[in-house]
Amino acid sequence: MESTSQSSSKNQPIAAVLLSRAHDPEETKRILTEKIQQRPLFLCPSSPPPSDARAARRREREKKRLSRKKALKPKPLSANERRKLGLYDVPRSGQKYALFEPLHQLWLGYIREILGNEIHTGGEGAASKLTSADFHGAEVEVVRSGCVSRVGLKGIVIKDSRFTFEVVTRRNQRKLVPKEGTVFRIEVPLGGVPTATVEEGQSDENKQQQQQTEAEQPKMIFEVHGEQFQFRSADRANKKFRSHFSKIL
Amino acid sequence: MLSFPTPSVYQSSKCFVTYGVMGHLDPNQPPTKSKPWSTVAGQDFINRVELIIPQETSEVVRKILNEKAAPEFQRMVMSLHDILSGDFFTEYIKKGNVMMLSEGRKGIDNVFTFRNGILTMLLDKEAYERAGLVGKPDGVKGKRGLKPRWVVEVDLTSSSMVPGKKGFDRLIYASKNAFNTPVTWLFCNLSSTIPNPDPLALHSPAKYAAEPSVLQNIDAMLPTLKPPVDAIGPEGREELEYFSTELYEWLSLVRLQSPRIQVGDQVDPYLCRYQVPGDGQQGKICRLTWQGFLAPSWCREILLNLVAKLPSKSWFSFSTTTFSKGMAGDNSEISLFRPQGAPGEYVMWEIKSHE
Repeated sequence: MESTSQSSSKNQPIAAVLLSRAHDPEETKRILTEKIQQRPLFLCPSSPPPSDARAARRREREKKRLSRKKALKPKPLSANERRKLGLYDVPRSGQKYALFEPLHQLWLGYIREILGNEIHTGGEGAASKLTSADFHGAEVEVVRSGCVSRVGLKGIVIKDSRFTFEVVTRRNQRKLVPKEGTVFRIEVPLGGVPTATVEEGQSDENKQQQQQTEAEQPKMIFEVHGEQFQFRSADRANKKFRSHFSKIL
Repeated sequence: MLSFPTPSVYQSSKCFVTYGVMGHLDPNQPPTKSKPWSTVAGQDFINRVELIIPQETSEVVRKILNEKAAPEFQRMVMSLHDILSGDFFTEYIKKGNVMMLSEGRKGIDNVFTFRNGILTMLLDKEAYERAGLVGKPDGVKGKRGLKPRWVVEVDLTSSSMVPGKKGFDRLIYASKNAFNTPVTWLFCNLSSTIPNPDPLALHSPAKYAAEPSVLQNIDAMLPTLKPPVDAIGPEGREELEYFSTELYEWLSLVRLQSPRIQVGDQVDPYLCRYQVPGDGQQGKICRLTWQGFLAPSWCREILLNLVAKLPSKSWFSFSTTTFSKGMAGDNSEISLFRPQGAPGEYVMWEIKSHE
């Protein structure tokens, strides 16, 4: 009996021999033909793509990662590199408020130009123009803040980054004011008639304010909610602002 | 924006009863630190004071009150900036002894109080964030994050509160920007000297003198005016509870001028089943009421004089009610009763509202 099994094993493939140890002869034959001898070999294993959701999600994720990586070439500067290059340093001599006064006047002219007649009427029209305006050189005052020590800070904006304003105060100090949870007030004096004030990035509330002393002219005063304003000035140009429910109000 | 009503848990006022001994009164050194004197003086602003005495002692009481009349109080419209600047600040706040209360309901509007040299501002979230002054959250755990209210306390008598110093300048900035609307204030000068010229005259105050309104010769049925002997000690707790509840009820009915306590009152028991507890004694009683903006120090002095000068066997009842706090409008109250024939003892009811 042993000899017969050995002689048959020489004729049979090794796979059949192994299978016959575990299965009965019919099963062995079926498995051998279906799964081993007639096994389909795909030339391109992943096409057509598998239909289950998990694999599909995985593919999406991979694609997104690769595209993000491509977008970052050339890589942005890391914080260390930025500090070493000193791109945003302002030297002591440059921190003078008096240096930025002319910039402020330029900015006032620029805003008056943008607003045109809206400076007298205020409201939605002025708001939409102001959102796309650039704020470098504006004199901002912190009027309301979740962090109470910031209230009362006033100065000229020298850097408008995504989350903060960097500001030079009248006392020649450079202050970094986060935009989160803070409301800034900006005044634009003009020569003429009573003005209206506007709140941006929010459903509007109008406030009337008029100051008629000899030195001062009537002003347009508007308040900016920093919470809704957390975009770089370049990105803000084409952004459409919608009213959002605000946690702080 | 979307405003959800803030959930609030209404808790009713709680009453604490104390039955104790007053201790010896030394006329040269009036007591301040022990109960009941410390509780009476520890209230903040008192709105009503009521005194119930037997008619026989009304002359003595009249003499006491002539000596120590209530300090007059005034009402005027000022803004916070007016208080912090000028003569008013130097004379009354820095040097004087005054107390002030602004209009508004605590818990809803912004309320300012000034007492013992400390200016306390109870603010809502927007006012606090616009003011820029450091404060603490108000309420239990700051109302757990939903629209918290804030308390800012500033000690105005300290030497750092002077124009020119940073802390004071921040206060002035807040008063100009966040609190610049004028509000109505109640003002009471506790010291007897008035600076001349009076800085208050600029704001045209309306003056009020708190005169007591007197109801005399009320024929009343009197309850048992002495606590039961076995009310002392842990076993007597129930006895004390019954006695104090019944007595407080009777005193409240007298204060309300209820006809139920009068002699010869016959009301249909279907309408009212109240009967004066005790053995049906009758007597004449007299009731005096003050209403206004009163100082707890004055109340304490009146109480001392009453205890010292009234005949020792006679009873009296003295109660002070504060201004209401919080949205529900509950106020806290202290009632003190000296039993008949027991000169050193007292029963005190302290009613404390939740907020």
